[in-house]
Amino acid sequence: MASNGQPKILVFSTEKISDPALDLAGLLKKHYPFTIYTISVPCSSCIKPRWIMRAFDKGFSGVFIAADGTDCSYGESCGEKTSQVVTTTHQLMRDKGLKPSQLKMAAICSVCAEPVVKHLTGFMKELEKMQS
Amino acid sequence: MEATNNDSMNRSNAGTTDYDVLVIGAGIAGEESALKLADMGFKVLLIEKEPSIGGKMILLSKVFPTLDCAACITTPKVSETARHPNITILTLAEAESIVKEENNLFSVTFKKHPRYVVENDCTGCQECETVCPMVVKDQFQFNLVARKAIYIPFNIANPRVALIDIENCTLCGACEQKCPSNCIDFTQKEELVNIKVKSVIVATGFKLFDPISIERYGYGRYKNVITSMQMERELAPTRPFNSVLRPSDGKVPDKIAYIFCTGSRDHTVGNPICSQVCCMYSTKQAQLLMGALPMADISLYYINIRAFGKGFNEFYMQAKDMGANYVKGKIGSISEKENGNLILRYEDIVTGKVTEKEHDLVVLSVGLLANHEITKVFKNEKLELDALKYIKQPDLLQSPATTSIKGVFVAGTATSPMDIPDTIMSAGAAASETSGYLNQWS
Amino acid sequence: MTKKKIGVYVCHCGGNISDYVDIEKVKEAVKDEANVYLLKNTLFACSDSSQKEMVADIQTNELDAIVVASCSPKLHVPTFRGVAQRAGMNPYNYVQVNIREQGSWAHSDNPKGATEKAILLVKAGIARAAESEALTSSKIPAANVVAVIGAGVGGMRSAIALADMGTEVYLIEKEKNVGGHVANFGSLFTTDKMGYELSANLLSEVKKRENIKLFTNAEIVEKKGSIGNFDIQVKVDNDVLPLHVGAFVVNTGFDSYQPQQGEYGFGEQTNVITLPEFKKLIDNSSERLIFNGKAIKKVAYIYCVGSRQNDEGDNKYCSRYCCTAAIHASVQVNKKFKDVTNLHFNRGIRTYGKQELLYEESSKNGDIYLQFSLDSIPEITQKGGKTFVKVKDILSAGKEVETEADLVVLVTGMVPRENSKLASQLKIPVGRDNFFNEIHMKLRPVETVIDGVLIAGTCQSPKNILETMNSSMAAAAKINSVLTKGEMTLDPTLAKINPSQCTWCGKCAEACPFDAIIQTEFDGRIVAKINEANCKGCGMCTPVCPTDAIDLAGFTNAQIEGMIDALAE
Ligand SMILES: Cc1cc2nc3c(=O)[nH]c(=O)nc-3n(C[C@H](O)[C@H](O)[C@H](O)COP(=O)(O)OP(=O)(O)OC[C@H]3O[C@@H](n4cnc5c(N)ncnc54)[C@H](O)[C@@H]3O)c2cc1C
Ligand SMILES: Cc1cc2nc3c(=O)[nH]c(=O)nc-3n(C[C@H](O)[C@H](O)[C@H](O)COP(=O)(O)OP(=O)(O)OC[C@H]3O[C@@H](n4cnc5c(N)ncnc54)[C@H](O)[C@@H]3O)c2cc1C
Ligand code: SF4
Ligand code: SF4
Ligand code: SF4
Ligand code: SF4
Ligand code: SF4
Repeated sequence: MASNGQPKILVFSTEKISDPALDLAGLLKKHYPFTIYTISVPCSSCIKPRWIMRAFDKGFSGVFIAADGTDCSYGESCGEKTSQVVTTTHQLMRDKGLKPSQLKMAAICSVCAEPVVKHLTGFMKELEKMQS
Repeated sequence: MEATNNDSMNRSNAGTTDYDVLVIGAGIAGEESALKLADMGFKVLLIEKEPSIGGKMILLSKVFPTLDCAACITTPKVSETARHPNITILTLAEAESIVKEENNLFSVTFKKHPRYVVENDCTGCQECETVCPMVVKDQFQFNLVARKAIYIPFNIANPRVALIDIENCTLCGACEQKCPSNCIDFTQKEELVNIKVKSVIVATGFKLFDPISIERYGYGRYKNVITSMQMERELAPTRPFNSVLRPSDGKVPDKIAYIFCTGSRDHTVGNPICSQVCCMYSTKQAQLLMGALPMADISLYYINIRAFGKGFNEFYMQAKDMGANYVKGKIGSISEKENGNLILRYEDIVTGKVTEKEHDLVVLSVGLLANHEITKVFKNEKLELDALKYIKQPDLLQSPATTSIKGVFVAGTATSPMDIPDTIMSAGAAASETSGYLNQWS
Repeated sequence: MTKKKIGVYVCHCGGNISDYVDIEKVKEAVKDEANVYLLKNTLFACSDSSQKEMVADIQTNELDAIVVASCSPKLHVPTFRGVAQRAGMNPYNYVQVNIREQGSWAHSDNPKGATEKAILLVKAGIARAAESEALTSSKIPAANVVAVIGAGVGGMRSAIALADMGTEVYLIEKEKNVGGHVANFGSLFTTDKMGYELSANLLSEVKKRENIKLFTNAEIVEKKGSIGNFDIQVKVDNDVLPLHVGAFVVNTGFDSYQPQQGEYGFGEQTNVITLPEFKKLIDNSSERLIFNGKAIKKVAYIYCVGSRQNDEGDNKYCSRYCCTAAIHASVQVNKKFKDVTNLHFNRGIRTYGKQELLYEESSKNGDIYLQFSLDSIPEITQKGGKTFVKVKDILSAGKEVETEADLVVLVTGMVPRENSKLASQLKIPVGRDNFFNEIHMKLRPVETVIDGVLIAGTCQSPKNILETMNSSMAAAAKINSVLTKGEMTLDPTLAKINPSQCTWCGKCAEACPFDAIIQTEFDGRIVAKINEANCKGCGMCTPVCPTDAIDLAGFTNAQIEGMIDALAE
C-alpha cells in the first residue's frame, strides 16, 4: 500500500497502442491516482499469468491489462489470446482466494486518453470499496 | 521483415547532389514512398507545407472497412518516417521552383517558413498556450473549436512542437516569458534553400470540396449543416468535445442526415467524377454514430453506393443491419427552422415522390478535388494534368506512377481520388518506379 | 548476469518534471539501491551537452548499464540507445523510465504523489537494467532473388519492377502462355488500349531483362526455408529445377465466375452469355454485331452475377471491375456497331472515381439503366423464340418493365482462382471472401503474415488493371527493400526457448501467428526452436507454455519480476 493508504494498481500497457494512450492522458493533464504504475510490453497477449500473480503476492490490489484490441499490429488473434491469459489467471487467483474483479482488462487505443483514465479511476474506486 | 533503421545501408551515389529523391507532401502517400525508398538505401528529403506530417489520415477518426483507429495505425508509420536515418523531413516547407537541368538533375528551390520556436528545443509542454491571449479558429479541428496564436497543431502532431501563427500574434511576448526551455525565437526569418536532387515524387494529395458554393444546402449559413471532415473530428478519440454535438446549441443530435456526392458527380460545380471514398466514409461514420448515440436515427441520402473494395460491400451491409437508413434520393434543398433543425426536401427515387423530412444535424459528404498548384513549381519541363486536373499518368495501365516529366513520379490521391489501401499501393508503385530510375543512373 | 555498474540520470525537463517531482528526493531515495554506481540529475537529458556527458561517464566509469528517467520512451529511446552505442555500451543495456507523461504531468495535481511514484518507477528501471542483457542483432544472408508466381499482367509487372530495382527474378507461369486474362482482351477501360497489346508489351519488357528468367508450363512442387532463404523445386515441363530464392510475390490472379446451370437462363438459353464471352464477340465482329447468325439489336446486361450474393451464395463482396467493364463494353458496342440498344439491369452502378465518366458517356449514348434489388431479380423468359427480360425497376418507382432482348449478357464477377496446393505450400491465409489475405488491409496490403510471402494483383481481391499494377509494384518495392542488401538484420527482441525445459507440446507453435516456431533436436528429444527470421517478438507464445520455457528478450521473467518487486515496495 502507498503512503496515502490507497490501493496500488499495476497496469500492463503495450508499447505501440495503449501506452501512448496513457502518455496522452498525462500530456492532457488528465489526472488519475498516482498509485497506478505501468509496465509496458510489446503486445498484451505476452503477459504471463505468473507476473500477475507475483504482483498480487507482493501487495498490488489490482492488475489492469490495457489490451490492444483490434488495433494490435501483431494480428487479430491478440484479443482472444489476451482473454485466455485473463482466464488462466482468474483460475490461479481463485485458488489463492483473490477476487476475479481484481484483474481487469479493456481494449485501449493509442489516443484513448479519456477512456483509460476512466477505467483506471473506476477500478481504483472498486478496489477502495473492496478494501473497506 | 521490418526495416532495420539503426544500420541502414547507404545506397546513395548522390555525389554532387544533396538527395536522391525529393518527396513533396507528407501524407500517407508521401510517407510510404519515402519509407520504401529509404529502406532501399536512398537518401530522401520529404517536405511538407503544414507544421506536422501525416496529411489527412492523421486527423481521421477510425478507418473503413476495418474500423481501426486511424491514429493507432498511422502514428507508428509517422514516427518511423520521422526517425529513419535516410529521411530528412522539413515541415512548413514549400517548393518554389523546380528546374530540370541538362545533366538530368533537378534544381529545387524551396521556402522554409519560420516556426518562431526552436524545433529541437521545444518539449511540447504547452505552457505557452496557457498564457497566449490570442484566440483564433483551429484549422486542424476544422474550425469546430479555437486555438491560441502559439499552438501545437494537434496532440499527435509530428513533430509535436509549438509554432507561432505570426499573423495572429500580437508580439506580446507572454509565451517567451513562460516557456521553460527558452525556445521562442521571434527573429526567425523565412529561408530560401536551393538543393539538387535526382528525382521527385509528387504526393501532394487532394483538396476537400468546399460546400459553400452549393447555396441550396446552406453550409456556412445554417449552423447545423457541417462537413464530413468536421464529423471525423467529432468522432475522433482526440475529438474537441466529449460527445458528438451539433454546433448551434451544443445539443446531442438524434436525427442525423448524410448527403452523399456533395461536390462530386456534379457538373454544376465542375467535378463530374465520383470521389470514391465518401460512400464508405459516410457508412463508417454512420456505424460510429450508431455506436456512440444508440438512439439516434441516421439517414443517408445517396444516388448509388460505391462499396467496391475488399470488405466494403460487407461493411455496407453491416451498416444496414445495424439500422442505418439508406434513402435513394435526390436532394432538392435544405431549409432551417427556428430551433436550428433542418428540413430536407428530396425526391425519393423508390416512391418517385418529392418528400420532406426533418433532421437536427446534416452532414455533407464532401468530395475530393485535385490539388494541382504544384504544377506551377515546375519551371522548364511541364508537369501535365489530365482533363480533371489531377496529375496526368501518360502510361496509366503499364506504369501508373510515371508523369509527363522523366524522373518525376506521382503517388496517392495526387493522381485520382482513392482510399488509404489504394494510396499505399500507389505509393509503393511510385517507390518502385523511382528506384528503378535511380538504378539506371549509376 | 546482473549488471553491477549502473548509471542513473534523472531529468528536470526544464521544469516539466522538476516543477512537480522533487528531483532531489528521488535521488536521495535511489542512491543506495543495489548496483547504482553513478547518479546524476540533468536539466535536459536529451540535450547535446548532456548526451556527451553520458558518453564520457559510461567510458570513464566503465558503466555496464544506464537508466534515464525522463519522458516517454516513444520520444527518446533511439536517442539514448545512440548514446549507449557511441560509448561502446550495448544499446539494450539502457532503460528508459517515464516520469513525465506518466509522472509529473499525470499527477501535476499531486506533487507529493508524483514524487513517490517517480521514486518507485526509477527503482523499477534500475531493477530492469540490472537484469538487462546485451543483445545483438544477428544478420542472416538473404538472397536478393524473388520467385514471382503467375505471369499475368500483374506478375509480369512485378517481375519488371523487381528486375529494374536490381533483384533477380524467376517468373513462374503454369500455363503455356503469359498474360493471364488480359492477353485475350481487346479494348480496355479506361484508355482503350488493347489487352493483347498490353500483354505483349509486358512480355517484351520481360524478355529484355537479363535478370528475369521466365518459366512457362511451370509450377512450384516443393518449398522449404524462410525469408531470405527459401529452397524450392519447380517443375518445368517434365523437369524439376531446384531454385534458391529470398521471397515470393504471388500474382496468381482470379477466375471469372461461372454462372450455374439455369442462373438467369444460362446454359439453357443459347443467347445468354457471360461478359468475357461478350467481349470476345465484340472483338470478333466487324460492322455488325452477330450472334449465332443473328444480328443483335438489343443487349440486356444483368449485373452482379456471382457477386453481392445474399445468404444463399458465398460471394458477399462486390467484384469491383465489372460495372465499369460492362459499361465500357456497351460503349464499345455503340462505337463499333450502328443501332444497338443497351439495357443495363443493375443493382446500383459502381463506376467509382474517374470511371464515372464512362457511365456518363454511356448514358449520353442513350443506354437505358434499370435497377433491381435482390428481392426481385430479373426474369428471363422465352416466348415464341424470343427472349424477354422482366424486372421491377427501382428507378421508376418499382414499375414492372418487360422488354425483349436479342442477347443477354451476364456481368460475371471475379472469384478466387483454385490454388489450394500453392496456398498450403506457402501457408498463405485466405480471408472470409476466400481471396488470399493480407496482414493489414490499410498499412500492409501486399504482405501476408508469412514473412517473405507477398500477394499482389487479383489474388488478393478483385481489381482492375491499374490497381493490379499498383499493388504488384508495391509488392516489388516492399520485398526489394528487404532483400536488396543481400542480408537481413534481425531485431534482437525475439522469443527464446530454453530447450532443457521444453517438452514439445506444440502449444507455442499453435499460438504464434507468424509461423516462427519450428522443431529441433536437443539431447535426443524433439524440442521447440524459434526461427529467428520469422519471429516478430510479439511474445504471444510465452504465456501458453506449460513449462514456462519461453522468455522474450528484454521482457524476461527476471526483468519483469524485478520491476514488479520494486514497484510493490
Ligand atoms: C472525411 C474523410 C474521411 C475518410 N475516411 C477514410 C477511411 O475511413 N478509410 C480510408 O481508407 N480512406 C479514408 N479517406 C481517404 C483518405 O483520407 C485518403 O485516401 C488519404 O488521406 C490520401 O493520402 P494522400 O497522402 O494521398 O493525401 P493527403 O492526406 O492529402 O496528403 C497530402 C500531403 O501533402 C501536403 N502538400 C500538399 N501540397 C503541398 C506542397 N505544395 N508542398 C508541400 N506539401 C504539400 C499536404 O499538406 C498533405 O500533408 C477519407 C477522406 C475524407 C475526406
Ligand atoms: C471480362 C473482363 C473484362 C475486363 N476488362 C478490364 C478492362 O477493360 N480494364 C481493366 O483495367 N481491367 C479489366 N479487367 C480486369 C483485369 O482482367 C484484371 O485486373 C487482370 O487480369 C488482373 O491480372 P492478374 O495478373 O492479377 O491476374 P490474371 O490475369 O488472372 O493472371 C494470373 C496468372 O497467374 C497464373 N497462375 C495462377 N496460378 C498459378 C500457379 N499456381 N502457378 C503458376 N502460375 C499460376 C495464371 O495462369 C495467370 O496467367 C477485366 C476482367 C474481366 C473478367
Ligand atoms: S514553445 Fe516552450 S512553452 Fe511552448 S510547448 Fe514548446 S517548450 Fe513548451
Ligand atoms: S463515393 Fe459515393 S458519395 Fe462519393 S461521389 Fe462517389 S457515389 Fe458519391
Ligand atoms: S462492380 Fe458492379 S457489377 Fe460488379 S459486383 Fe460490383 S456492383 Fe455488381
Ligand atoms: S509451449 Fe513450451 S513446452 Fe510446449 S513446445 Fe513450446 S516451448 Fe516447448
Ligand atoms: S514472439 Fe511472437 S513471433 Fe516470435 S515465436 Fe513467439 S509468438 Fe511467434
